[in-house]
Amino acid sequence: MITPEQRAEFRKHFRYNVGRRLVLDKIVKGVVFSCVIVAIVPLVAILVNVFSNGAAALTWNFLTEIPGAVGSDDPGGIGPAIQGTMVLIGMSSLIGVPVGVMGGIFLSEYGNNRYGRTVRFFNDVLAEFPTIVIGVFAFVLIVLTVGNFSVWAGSFALSIVMLPIIMRTTEESLKLVPVTYREAGHALGIRRYRVIFTIVLSSAKNGLVTGILLAVARIAGETAPLVFTILGSSQFISDLNGPIDALPLRIWRLSSLPYDSAVTQGWGAAFILIIMVLSINIGVRYIFLRNKEKTFLKFKKMGVAS
Amino acid sequence: MMETATKTPVKGVSIDDVKYKLIAENISASYDGIVAVKNVSMKFQDRAVTALIGPSGCGKTTFLRCLNRMHELTKNATLTGKVLLDGEDLYSTKVDPIINRRKIGMVFQKPNPFPTMSIYDNVACGLKLNGVKDRKILDEVVEGCLKMASLWNEVKNDLKKPGMSLSGGQQQRLCIARALAIQPEVLLMDEPASALDPIATQKIEEMIQELKKEYTIIIVTHNMQQATRVSDYTGFMYLGDLVEFGETKQIFENPRNEITAKYVQGQFG
Amino acid sequence: MTRLIDPHLQNLSEMMKQMSDLSIQSANLAIDSYLGGQNARKQVHELSSQMMNLYDKVGDLTFEMILRYQPVASDFRLIRSSLEISYGFTRLSRYAYDITMVRETFGDLSDCKNEVIYTLSGEIKQMVQLAVECFATLDLDKAHELRTDEDLVDKYYNKHLPMLITMGNVKCALADALVLRYMERMADHAAFVGDSVNYIVTGARTY
Repeated sequence: MITPEQRAEFRKHFRYNVGRRLVLDKIVKGVVFSCVIVAIVPLVAILVNVFSNGAAALTWNFLTEIPGAVGSDDPGGIGPAIQGTMVLIGMSSLIGVPVGVMGGIFLSEYGNNRYGRTVRFFNDVLAEFPTIVIGVFAFVLIVLTVGNFSVWAGSFALSIVMLPIIMRTTEESLKLVPVTYREAGHALGIRRYRVIFTIVLSSAKNGLVTGILLAVARIAGETAPLVFTILGSSQFISDLNGPIDALPLRIWRLSSLPYDSAVTQGWGAAFILIIMVLSINIGVRYIFLRNKEKTFLKFKKMGVAS
Repeated sequence: MMETATKTPVKGVSIDDVKYKLIAENISASYDGIVAVKNVSMKFQDRAVTALIGPSGCGKTTFLRCLNRMHELTKNATLTGKVLLDGEDLYSTKVDPIINRRKIGMVFQKPNPFPTMSIYDNVACGLKLNGVKDRKILDEVVEGCLKMASLWNEVKNDLKKPGMSLSGGQQQRLCIARALAIQPEVLLMDEPASALDPIATQKIEEMIQELKKEYTIIIVTHNMQQATRVSDYTGFMYLGDLVEFGETKQIFENPRNEITAKYVQGQFG
Repeated sequence: MTRLIDPHLQNLSEMMKQMSDLSIQSANLAIDSYLGGQNARKQVHELSSQMMNLYDKVGDLTFEMILRYQPVASDFRLIRSSLEISYGFTRLSRYAYDITMVRETFGDLSDCKNEVIYTLSGEIKQMVQLAVECFATLDLDKAHELRTDEDLVDKYYNKHLPMLITMGNVKCALADALVLRYMERMADHAAFVGDSVNYIVTGARTY
């Protein structure tokens, strides 16, 4: 037993430099905040730059017309690029999302063995792959075989870029669902696949959607795979088997031309691309996390968030 | 303070003469290389409550999970032995484990209603995902089960509320209603009240007394007073063995085994 | 590590020991003083009221333990039996007091033969001693012995009580009858103590 005298003795050894510690606290806080600001400055700088330079180019014509002749009086617009990017995102998602989600389900539910570990490893490798190599691969596989640049090749390449991201985030979201819900499902005599799809997947909904959107935002801006697969064009899409235009490509082309009007258009295109990505992110966050209080409380009750 | 001399056996009701709903024979189970249950045999009487008590790690939860074939879902699990429900072996290779899990319902320690479903959907979940589509039947079963779980009066006005919006004790009763919905014959409960406050616990125990009129109930508990209040028969497990099994009154008034006497009197550890 | 209930069980044990000592004291004092012709009513009364005091305290303690600690198994049987045994002890001292009252009420009994009483008194004193030892050591053999002794006392009592009808001296006959009766009851309660000890050890109830 520790007696009151001993307690008083031990207390004498504590440090009572509270004042100094409060000052230290403030200093550390200051340092942390300034680091955050340093981290955000580039982002803000880019956004300000793009918006200020690109705003000048924005007109209705700009958004809807095809690019005009280089260096002429009527520079045209980036209509095909916008259309191209949308189509590419859509088609890549069509391939990438189901495969990625299924892969994530496999890794999370059935992947606690050597086989799963191998798959996970390869997935991680693919996630860090240089996208230009993926583009070359799609070029060799599809473009050379078929004989022309096409949307298919572009979507294929982009879906490969998308795949590992979706797989990884799906796996993580599913793993966040506590084991006890799966057990409850099994104890009710429900078959395993139904437990996964009806109970587990719906609980992990938010995480899944966030992952998919991350991936979409990522591929919207990928340029390297597109160079070898869709080539770029100046027309609206008429045929899925032919080359199309996309925003990243168009920005690249426009920015490398020596004409001022082209460069301004490049800024404008960048503006559009950033707006597109931002609105996907913000829009879905608004829709899915709108009942943020309730959702957060839900996660708290589940013991998932603290 | 006192020495226990040799005892003469207590004369009481012979357990051999009553009807058994569930019989476990020579169950041995392990997982991750650890042997958790060593050759345990028990007989569970119909329409009675049997409690399993024992210190942490004695294998009582593992044994419980062997009864409805949930143990197989654990990592690296092995199991030998038989479990007879009304004479039929649940572990024979001809029988699909899924079917057996519908005959033996289970309630877990921490209340776990499905988070994305309403109260109605939670209770009806087992039925819906097993192919029942008739709305009328679902309504009837949901109402019946919620009544049996003493939850109906508290939620009948708003069955569409999310399951997670209920209090802890209500959630656990919801889970019990969910387990009852698939019309089991036996109900397994793994420390159902350990995460609840005393009043919620009391409600659960009263509900168990009601349920035992129709169901066979097996409850694992680390709270000995709960075992004395709620159960008709008690089994004491220690380090994977079944040390003693008998009527609750006998186990707690005059245990025959030295280890049992030490455990129930709190002389362990 | 001592359990929460252990200090209280210790307390109970001490009180029971005190009651045991009082039983032996009051029994011996009453019987010896009766046979020796002295009036020990006051002392035995004193012992008896101490006994009643302790009995109340034992009652309070046992129910407090049941309320607070929900004892089971041997703890439970010990507590239940202690209540029964403490009652038995109060009865022993009560009958001892009654025996001294006989001397007080009837006055001088020096001309009574007292032979019957003499024979039985040794047995009764021994039984009280045996009962106390039986509870202290929880010895089943002693409990068994108490039962056989009680049988003997019963037989002796049934044999000699009717014989008192033929006795000439009414005063002596009545005094002897009363004392015999009290002694037989003391033997009964001593045997009950043995039964309670049997319950503590084996868990079997004899009703």
